[in-house]
Amino acid sequence: MSEMMVRLKSRNNLIVTQMVVTGLTVIVGMIFGIIMLLVQGGMIEAMPATFYQFLTIHGTFMIGAAALAATAIMWYFLSHYVELSKKILKINLVLFIIAAVMVTVGTFSFEYAGAWTFLYPLPALSASAWGTIGALFYLIGMLVMGVGFLLLFIDSGRAIIKKYGSLGKGLGWDVIIGKKAEKDAPPPAVVASTMVTIVNTTALLSGSTVLIMNIINVINPAFTFNPLLAKNLTYAFGHIFANATIYMGVIVVYELLARYTKRPWNSSRVFLVFWTMSTFFTLLVYPHHLLMDSVMPRWMLIMGQVLSYANGLPVLVVTAYGALMIVYKSGIKWDMASGLAYLSMLGWTIGVIPAIVDSAIVVNHVMHNTKWVPGHFHMYMGLGVIAMTFSFMYFLAKNDNGLKETMVDKTAFFMYMFGLIGVSGSFLTSGAISTPRRFATHLPEWMGPAQFGAVAGILVVIAITIFVIHFIRYISVRNKGNIGSDYYDKKLA
Amino acid sequence: MKQTKLGILLYVILIIPPITTYMESIMLVHMLIQFPLLILAGWLIGEWVLERWPYHFLKWDANGIAGIILVIFITTYWMFPRAMDESLTIWHIELFKFISLPLVGILLRNSWRKLTIIGRSFVFLNYLSMFGLMGWFYIDSPVQICNNYLEIEQQMLGWGFVVITGIMIVYVLQKCFISGTKSNVNQI
Repeated sequence: MSEMMVRLKSRNNLIVTQMVVTGLTVIVGMIFGIIMLLVQGGMIEAMPATFYQFLTIHGTFMIGAAALAATAIMWYFLSHYVELSKKILKINLVLFIIAAVMVTVGTFSFEYAGAWTFLYPLPALSASAWGTIGALFYLIGMLVMGVGFLLLFIDSGRAIIKKYGSLGKGLGWDVIIGKKAEKDAPPPAVVASTMVTIVNTTALLSGSTVLIMNIINVINPAFTFNPLLAKNLTYAFGHIFANATIYMGVIVVYELLARYTKRPWNSSRVFLVFWTMSTFFTLLVYPHHLLMDSVMPRWMLIMGQVLSYANGLPVLVVTAYGALMIVYKSGIKWDMASGLAYLSMLGWTIGVIPAIVDSAIVVNHVMHNTKWVPGHFHMYMGLGVIAMTFSFMYFLAKNDNGLKETMVDKTAFFMYMFGLIGVSGSFLTSGAISTPRRFATHLPEWMGPAQFGAVAGILVVIAITIFVIHFIRYISVRNKGNIGSDYYDKKLA
Repeated sequence: MKQTKLGILLYVILIIPPITTYMESIMLVHMLIQFPLLILAGWLIGEWVLERWPYHFLKWDANGIAGIILVIFITTYWMFPRAMDESLTIWHIELFKFISLPLVGILLRNSWRKLTIIGRSFVFLNYLSMFGLMGWFYIDSPVQICNNYLEIEQQMLGWGFVVITGIMIVYVLQKCFISGTKSNVNQI
């Protein structure tokens, strides 16, 4: 085996390991989600304290897993264009696992249940539901996770600057202003990675600041801080970090559809302008999480509302339209990878609508504390980001050693799609009938949609288990077959 | 050896009692001027130290990580309000300050050039968020943190940290968006 092929195999090994960790984390996270719906639906009983521990672990695991998977997608495709550090990727994975263990210990051994948003001063003010150690395990765990991701984005920023000269050029600003021709524009994977590098570095710095502040407050509650600033920093981290997962995940759509249709997906000037717009807007829209905080400066609330309309749409439109155009009359042969990539566009497109509705201040005052909001992000993340993740897994399995898909996989695809539509639909319905979110106990009138959501969730877990089994099958046979059979890999070799 | 002489001169100036007393009488000057000047003095003296004992630095801090960890620990310690407060009332803490901060300068000089670009960026961003936090901490603290300084002084110090954080952000932006060249990012 040539040296280059060994390098490719080692790169793919790392990505495969990361995707396995992701897949298993998603399954565990979803099981906790289903248990919560069963509790809310009155089908099983659990103490409210236990429910909130499940809520905490579910949110943390799902966002963490989405971020881990999305960074794997970004890293894999970006490494075709720039030279990234495998060591850093490995460090990130190790830190992620350490963090996951710390979070789990904090939540289940020390009963921390302050949700993944760790909103100040909740970690310190638990009314004796949990103590200092539990909160510290959780908060320091999150900090460790942040360190790993920060290193990863420093590395991607370094590599992009090395190849293209600056992050601005990575976003194609020299093409936008006409200094360079469109044909010389950075590829979509680089543009998306640059955007994510910028916004996530900012988010992680905000997050680390507010995490350390929370840690100080937990250790010595005499040190209090401005809760409004804390909330701003928390959402400047939480919103951006969660939102950025889709901007990393979408790279698989760009790369995969271009390969399947054998048509290039180039970065046009409009494409570059829209990605730049999304870079700025993603950094600025987080105040839509604070629309109910009447003490927020009015201009920030208006900015939160207006830019929320403008944020997702440019990239979504240019990507969805691009996806339709690249497939049109291309003679593409549909399989699980391309099917899931296309499904993710559906999830993204539909999932963003309830969010845009909720970002209107007048609607937000009524809907924000209802299950309408989980309805949005379960569709957006579940049918969007997670579908991109599994699309990437199927792509790797097929691309790396041509593992064949079976009828079971195809059945799982539909189970996944209808299951997640069911889960999201049940949340949206709950929101429409004013069911509050984050409530362990439901009134009988609220239980119907929760029961339906739980059953739909079981379908999703079965489907995802089938996806993961397919991926594990791929791992077990990959050493026997060819690796790195990808066109770009061949070119590299 | 010009730098070493400058460093020694700076150090001598900083330990002259009236100058020390004056600098320590204002919280902002104590933390944001005296501390960095002591580090600068150490950094300048480091020219001679590194030349005199190159083998030791090669052996104990080959990749810069050991040194930078020590730098982070010492500087973090000196960011604690209590440490600064005690340096005014307990003589051996004051002595420790005049030894540890120049040591930070020497270690920094050795470690910084050995760190990879990722290591340097990580340390820089770590300090960026830490300074932002310290700014917030000193401005927003509802109590007088130091016995030797008034609340208004700690707020001034907090704003000092905020200004430094702002400058660091501007530096990062120009580095990433304007001055990024292929030559300065070659290392992984």
